[in-house]
Amino acid sequence: MHAQWGWLAAIYLFLGGLGSGALAYAALFELTGRRYEMDRCPEVCPVTLVGSTVSGPIVAAGVVLLIFELGAGLREPWRIPLMYTHASSAMTWGVWLLTIFIPLAFLYGGLELMHVYPSLNAWVVERLPWGVVDPRDGTYSPLRELSLRRIKRIVAAVGGVLALAVATYTGILISAVGPAIPFWSTPLVPFLPLPTLPVLFLISALSTGEALTVDLAATLLTRGQAPRGRREHFIHLGLITGEAVVLGQLLAHAFLEGGAAAQSARDILIGAHSIVFWVLIMVLGFVIPFIGHVYAAGRGRHQPITGLSSGASLVLSGLFLRYLVIASAIHAFL
Amino acid sequence: MTKKDLSRRHFLGLALAGGATAGLGVKLSRTADSEDAGELAQTARARYALIIDTTKCTGCQACVEACNLRNDLPEGQSYIHGRVKGDEHLTWYLMVQCQHCANPPCATVCPTDATYVRDDGVVLVDEKLCVGCKYCIYACPYDARIFDAQRGVADKCWLCLDWVLAGGEPACVQACIPGARIFGQLDDPDSEVSKLIASGRAKPLRPEFGTEPAILAYIIEDPAEEPGGEG
Repeated sequence: MHAQWGWLAAIYLFLGGLGSGALAYAALFELTGRRYEMDRCPEVCPVTLVGSTVSGPIVAAGVVLLIFELGAGLREPWRIPLMYTHASSAMTWGVWLLTIFIPLAFLYGGLELMHVYPSLNAWVVERLPWGVVDPRDGTYSPLRELSLRRIKRIVAAVGGVLALAVATYTGILISAVGPAIPFWSTPLVPFLPLPTLPVLFLISALSTGEALTVDLAATLLTRGQAPRGRREHFIHLGLITGEAVVLGQLLAHAFLEGGAAAQSARDILIGAHSIVFWVLIMVLGFVIPFIGHVYAAGRGRHQPITGLSSGASLVLSGLFLRYLVIASAIHAFL
Repeated sequence: MTKKDLSRRHFLGLALAGGATAGLGVKLSRTADSEDAGELAQTARARYALIIDTTKCTGCQACVEACNLRNDLPEGQSYIHGRVKGDEHLTWYLMVQCQHCANPPCATVCPTDATYVRDDGVVLVDEKLCVGCKYCIYACPYDARIFDAQRGVADKCWLCLDWVLAGGEPACVQACIPGARIFGQLDDPDSEVSKLIASGRAKPLRPEFGTEPAILAYIIEDPAEEPGGEG
């Protein structure tokens, strides 16, 4: 089989994971109230601000790339709405999910910006026919019945659930090809018909989302003075380690399966893709972030150097992980 | 809730419904003999069979050449591809093309429903609906589909349906030099294909994929190919 999906598809999957992970983190901080703990999170909380505002554009950029990956659909774009019509196709589930998620992500980003910049809030609400001023504290709200903060909570909750769905969906799309690409449908544990890739891509999405919002945005925007939170960095260590464990499971099970799956695993560990795996995924995606997060867990927060190195290497390794999964696909042996 | 809120929601609902209806309308306007692949898997019985006798196949690739010429395929691409099997004592050739499955994963994964199963079991690609996402090319366990980069669509063996419907045989069958390809009607119990399938000599390839090949079947007499072989 000639390789069909290349870098465009890898980047699209990566952006889907990164954008959904970033929003998931923003939603997590919003819903747990971390964003409002005045003694722990300064008024402008970089995690929610960056996570909510970049999520929509990032995932939308991925969809643009998806459209460029198409053949006839790119030349005759009126065929693209047809992709919404076939309920048995995981790709159809995806376009529906993204169609709902992306506007919601943009909305969440807009609401967060309005909350952080009251003058922007006032400017928007004054122009909405259904906007009101809350008589209790003079703040503006887009809807009469709900304060801006409550609207944000609702949008964050729905957006957060959809973000997890988007992150998992990228793995479901790949593994749904079934027996044709044995490596992609390798199960997580031998007894359950649960493929590994959706779990792996979900963890990776959360990890890259954390890297973007916490390691990079929160650390750099606060110049290393982010609020301390050791538990949070231990959780990040768990994500990083969990991803390595699941990836290890994938390779181990692929070996056990034999055939094309084992050949894919061989290519990754010692063959054509081994440099990408060992250097760009294991070193960048595990060793460097692990060291950086052990430091952050110990001190309670990142320094700019640990945040930058952990965050950048985690994000990059997320891209290479998606590329590796696609590039290592081998058709079932006949 | 204000009247304005209601009309906003109304509009959004109508827009979504309108878009979905337009999409369905395009789908339903396809030719009458195309049906949803899911339904057909339960009710269809293929009318034809194309049996490949690997004990006679010499790997000469005449079938590949005839198919490439007939379909004017780009250099380096074929609907039929071959694998060398066996060992130094018993070498044989497995020529694989679209198996025209009753439960084709290519149809399941296609987001636009461009790939469909006909009443007579032939699986076709409606080029006008294909967006070229290439999902089907990954989903076929027999690796039987190609992506035509020039036209931007997925493509595969279509059983030379124009010749078959006119009472003839596909190009690959006509071109086969050692006579390893047998084509016939399954409706006729006395046809060679019916007898080969009824006797169990001709069997679907790799049934564990679960796709239920409905038209292609193989005569394979290599003990290494018993179920449980390499996969």
